[in-house]
Amino acid sequence: MTLQHSLGADSAQQSRRQSRLSIDPARLRAQLPRQITAYLFLLPALITFALFAWYPMLRSIQMSFQNVNLAGQSTWAGLDNFQLMLKDPAFEIAWRNSLEYVSWSLLLGFLLPVILAIFIREVRLGKGFFRVVYFLPTVVPAAVAVIIWRFLYDPDGGYLNAFLQQFGIARQLWLSDPGLAKPALVTVMTWAGFGTTALIYLASLNDISSELYEAAELDGASPLRRIWHISLPHLLPVMSLMFLLQIIAVVQVFTEPFLLTNGGPGRETLTPAMHIYNRAFIRLDVGYASAWSVSMIVVLAIFSIIYRVVNARLNENS
Amino acid sequence: MERGFLSNIELHTSGGRAYYILAIICLSLVAVVAIFPFFFALTSGLKNSTEMFTSGLNLFPDMPLWSNYTEAWTRFNMARLFGNSFVIVGVGVFLRLLVSALAAFSLSRLKPVGGRIIMAGFLLTLTTPFIAYFVPLYMTIVNVPILNISLLNSYWGLWLPYCVNAFAIFVLKTFFDRIPQELIDSARVDGASAIQMLQHIILPLSRSILIVLCVLAFVELWKDFLLPFLVISNPEYQPVTVRLFYVADRYGINLQMASSFMALLPPLVIAIVLQRYMKIGLTVGAVKG
Repeated sequence: MTLQHSLGADSAQQSRRQSRLSIDPARLRAQLPRQITAYLFLLPALITFALFAWYPMLRSIQMSFQNVNLAGQSTWAGLDNFQLMLKDPAFEIAWRNSLEYVSWSLLLGFLLPVILAIFIREVRLGKGFFRVVYFLPTVVPAAVAVIIWRFLYDPDGGYLNAFLQQFGIARQLWLSDPGLAKPALVTVMTWAGFGTTALIYLASLNDISSELYEAAELDGASPLRRIWHISLPHLLPVMSLMFLLQIIAVVQVFTEPFLLTNGGPGRETLTPAMHIYNRAFIRLDVGYASAWSVSMIVVLAIFSIIYRVVNARLNENS
Repeated sequence: MERGFLSNIELHTSGGRAYYILAIICLSLVAVVAIFPFFFALTSGLKNSTEMFTSGLNLFPDMPLWSNYTEAWTRFNMARLFGNSFVIVGVGVFLRLLVSALAAFSLSRLKPVGGRIIMAGFLLTLTTPFIAYFVPLYMTIVNVPILNISLLNSYWGLWLPYCVNAFAIFVLKTFFDRIPQELIDSARVDGASAIQMLQHIILPLSRSILIVLCVLAFVELWKDFLLPFLVISNPEYQPVTVRLFYVADRYGINLQMASSFMALLPPLVIAIVLQRYMKIGLTVGAVKG
């Protein structure tokens, strides 16, 4: 036992020494068989990443400066695509829609999971039931959810109008009313996503030891103050991450508006991602679509940088 | 023992009881909203075509037409569609985990020169939005560089892009890093090759995390729409989610609902049966940043 242990420790030390000296060419040659094995294991990932992620990413940036057709022929076009993009009325419309989507989604779906998590944490019996039920919508494919929601929203036979009629609310055209289409879409997205976030908050709440609440209780803090001074500060870092992740996800939204309204009524629900799709696959103007892709990368990069900074700061603190 | 924000004693005061009841009511209302669309699809699938538009608030039809389900099953050729989906998703999950486990093992234990840069390259794909490069990705699938072959209408056009998953590599690498080096070293002393180490030591020890990643990948790939929508245009080979989108409005709305409900079942069953793993997956996912 001890022998085996010391043997293991010995070779661990040796391998550490080896890796520290790996710049030495003689050592490197001695290490070569091992390096070949290491790269053989990496090869499938390197090939698939190169072909289906890294190359398309670079190509996307390259094509934004070119005129390209889907067959792949391309000529350089300088900044033409970007100039066209800025002049395109759809640019303002799509990004303003995006901003409205984000606002609606934060309004409907940001605080809801926090409140639900706090409530679930309190439940003594049947916690598991709520956890499962809230989670179910998140596994539904958007393409299928859309078929069901389209009928729920149907102005004539839809359940929503029939339900609201009970309260004397007039028939609404949900998906074709310019004022209602966006919140109606965001409702579907919120339905599909709130469960995940609520469970993440719940996991975070479960990290707080009950002794903290007991101590606060002994000090005479009311339940509301306990939530306010103990639970919320603990959730705040997670909440700021979820806030950013929600924005990043909503800016990219494609499937729901594409399938449910296809951008309509008018261009009321058009998103940048849908415009990329339309330009590339319907108008076959790939270079122009790529300029849009680059603008999207820039916008999302800003949010991911904020996300990383916030995340790094949180990891420092904990 | 187990307590919430309120202690068990406080819970029995009138204020505590009121708060608790309010919480339960709110949670139940949200729960109803959460499962309503499932329920609605299930029962609407049982109605006849006039009831669909005349039943108002009645969820249940007078005469449940279970035949709608069998009709939808044959009309939409659901057996074929489910088969397609299971092949696409099953092989996709397997290949993704295989490629990711090999890469994670190498990065974690075989110390390749430049490993850190490669890992950074993998992680880069997590921060770049898929939607910003799906057009050139599609063009790559249409004409794979160097090889000059087209993967259009081939499942490889889905399986290979599905292998690209930095999240799985990252999670597996973190997990492999925690396996004691002594175990690996003693295997090396016994003359085990790298592949034997992976197969006989690392993978069996990582079974739980592999199942978690498997479940997450299954749900993710079953939900995928854009890629199969673009790559598989031959109706014979489309997965259920894509095919339903094409054919749904050709048939009565009750058949649409019945088929939608059936299409929901596989991920739903997985989420319920394997909820323990999905829960772990969530917290793993939350720290990926």
